[in-house]
Amino acid sequence: MNSLRVARAALRARPAALRIPMQRRGYAEAVNDKASKGIKLSLSLPHQSIYKSQDVVQVNIAAESGEMGVLAHHVPSIEQLKPGIVEVIEESGATKQFFLSGGFAVVQPNSVLSINAVEGFPIEDFSAEAIRAQVAEAQKVANGSGSEQEIAEAKIELEVLESIQTYVK
Amino acid sequence: MTFAWKQAGLTYNRYLAVAARVVRRSLKEDKRLAAERRGDVDLRFAKWTNGKQGDMQNVADANAAAYVEKANAPSS
Repeated sequence: MNSLRVARAALRARPAALRIPMQRRGYAEAVNDKASKGIKLSLSLPHQSIYKSQDVVQVNIAAESGEMGVLAHHVPSIEQLKPGIVEVIEESGATKQFFLSGGFAVVQPNSVLSINAVEGFPIEDFSAEAIRAQVAEAQKVANGSGSEQEIAEAKIELEVLESIQTYVK
Repeated sequence: MTFAWKQAGLTYNRYLAVAARVVRRSLKEDKRLAAERRGDVDLRFAKWTNGKQGDMQNVADANAAAYVEKANAPSS
């Protein structure tokens, strides 16, 4: 009687054992596993690569169309960057902030993000005094009687300086 | 979306150059000195017509003149 019950239990257990997925692993799956972990970030300046195809968790950028966070598997898009902060959350959990002077961010398929800018520096490299002095100077030109182009350039400078000032106190 | 600088005839390239210049000038002293040299441009050109070289012109000056012209031209 007892042995019959055991035999029946074994019979019921077998289909469950068959349902376990195959433990085989091909190259294609191995590549997919790696890509799904994070996003590959390249942050390039004309004179330096700050990140070179490095895996990171998330990147927050200030695009002309609005602030956005880019994670793995983001929809491909091209965004014009405002002079502003790019925040990189690395795989170690550390967050790094860079101020970029403006450029483009290209979100490519397969979790690849390329950011190009003319100048980019960590926030701690900026001097609050230098910014204040330049704001005064640019305001004088913007409200002065220079040519249309001089005033337009001064307004660009003010826009950039105000953006830096929100991060550097 | 039209930018104010675009209406003044400035190009996107010029906009980036101005923004980069102001970022470099906002750096702390040691970093600023190293970075500011990147902004220097000294380039001259001449237009050749009928096998003769025209006047040598500074690119920066020629660009500035082009911006004024573009601002005054009817917007496209």
